[in-house]
Amino acid sequence: MATNGHNNLNAKLVLLGDMGAGKSSLVLRFVKGQFLEFQESTIGAAFFSQTLAVNDATVKFEIWDTAGQERYHSLAPMYYRGAAAAIIVYDITSADSFTRAKKWVQELQKQGNPNMVMALAGNKADLEEKRKVTADEARVYADENGLFFMETSAKTAANVNDIFHEIAKRLPRAQPTQNPAGMVLVDRPAEGARAASCSYGFQNLGTLYSV
Amino acid sequence: MFGTQSKRDLSLEIQSQIPILRPSIHARRANITVKFQDLYGFTVEGNVDDANILNEVREKVREQGRVWWAFEASKGANWYLQTHVTSALKSSLKFSALVNAITLKKLIRKGIPPVLRPKVWFSLSGAAKKKSTVPDSYYNDLIIAVEGKLTPATKQIDHDLPRTFPGHPWLDTPEGHASLRRVLVGYSFRDSDVGYCQGLNYVAALLLLVMKTEEDAFWMLAVLLENVLVNDCYSSNLSGCHVEQRVFKDLLKKKCPRVHAHLEALDFDVSLVATEWFLCLFSKSLPSETTLRVWDVLFYEGAKVLLNMALAIFKVFVKQLILTSQVDAIRTCFHTPQLSSKPIKMHAWGY
Repeated sequence: MATNGHNNLNAKLVLLGDMGAGKSSLVLRFVKGQFLEFQESTIGAAFFSQTLAVNDATVKFEIWDTAGQERYHSLAPMYYRGAAAAIIVYDITSADSFTRAKKWVQELQKQGNPNMVMALAGNKADLEEKRKVTADEARVYADENGLFFMETSAKTAANVNDIFHEIAKRLPRAQPTQNPAGMVLVDRPAEGARAASCSYGFQNLGTLYSV
Repeated sequence: MFGTQSKRDLSLEIQSQIPILRPSIHARRANITVKFQDLYGFTVEGNVDDANILNEVREKVREQGRVWWAFEASKGANWYLQTHVTSALKSSLKFSALVNAITLKKLIRKGIPPVLRPKVWFSLSGAAKKKSTVPDSYYNDLIIAVEGKLTPATKQIDHDLPRTFPGHPWLDTPEGHASLRRVLVGYSFRDSDVGYCQGLNYVAALLLLVMKTEEDAFWMLAVLLENVLVNDCYSSNLSGCHVEQRVFKDLLKKKCPRVHAHLEALDFDVSLVATEWFLCLFSKSLPSETTLRVWDVLFYEGAKVLLNMALAIFKVFVKQLILTSQVDAIRTCFHTPQLSSKPIKMHAWGY
């Protein structure tokens, strides 16, 4: 759940979608501005954080990037529980991944936080010649279901920052305090003081992380 | 130009010529990042302290190797196979077997030397026994029988091959991909309930690097999934994995009550970090030699070691965890660079 403190907002965001749709690549592009042709497959989930300035406020995203394989589905509620936002990712070159994305939308509508900001991302937009899902089809679906839709490319960076920005703008600014099921994220303005405990950050993400 | 094989040979050769890669004198400033390859060909990037720790590890591995050789010299090459006390043995033999068993357990907890790993793992895990119950040609027949077949599992495997330790000097070559594919596809047909589960790609890849031959890696994977780990760890809904998570939560509550209460108060589910540990058997979270040390014990003592290890990691970070109330700071505690620099092993066997 998004929590508000002065002009700083902490928001839990979860990425869901079929395996290989490019969830991790979107996050890597957004957080580090990088792209790897072969991104390691995610097991369980990976965690990232990134802060954005939107108008007069800053939004700190706490991002859970989940594993896409069908059988990992049973773990998903742990990740989307209490999330303020979700990006449901599909691969525009795979009709199956779009079907899977719709299933995720249904599940979030039924079980997710009712105020959740949901985005639909048609990723791999650079692979126009292999396209299987038209932008119109996805846009109609998104409109019908109250999501906002963008086609993205983690490879070319197209629309990647935009989709996160758009989510940040749409997050409700004043949050009701009651949410017993949600993860409590305490906002600490004097965060720099404790930076020592997380000095590694993501600087070694590439090689060391995978050893 | 150079084929993939020669590249691999080259890297092995370089490795043997430079047993200890000392960081250059210019790298003394702590902030400088150094890159080097570890024993199993993984690129490690870290500061000079990390490099020094790795060198110390290598020295310890060599020392441990000398201890094993000494045992082989005094007790015979396969002494560790005679550790099971059976009623058929005479009492005098029983006693020596018991002594061997105690010695072996201690030795394994200190690590099996990399050269002996394939042989010791294969015998002690039960893989050799499993293999002996089927005709010699089982693996080859299986691979020939499944060649060219396409299933949902093979599709997913093909998708993950280049995404398994990308950049590794052998795994990330056409030859490495082909080997890993055969092992995973072969297993997906052996047990269609498991088929292919993401996570097994990392486990099988590391088994290939250690065991050297595909067939032995295949049997290690089989014994791991069928005998060593809890049931249904990787099958359709990961129910075994859910059980492990639940057990781990209870264990954490009992052994680290303060951390448990603190994380509970923050509503931070430990499964958020531990799922990957249990499904990849730490191969994605720890440096290779540390992972294999865990696997040494795993193959001899069983799946409980995964819980020991997970608990040990939490113990190492007790202070940091208790002081933090931010989710990202909690998560950062468990990043690899942090993990590799802490004396986890001191905690691991204490329970």
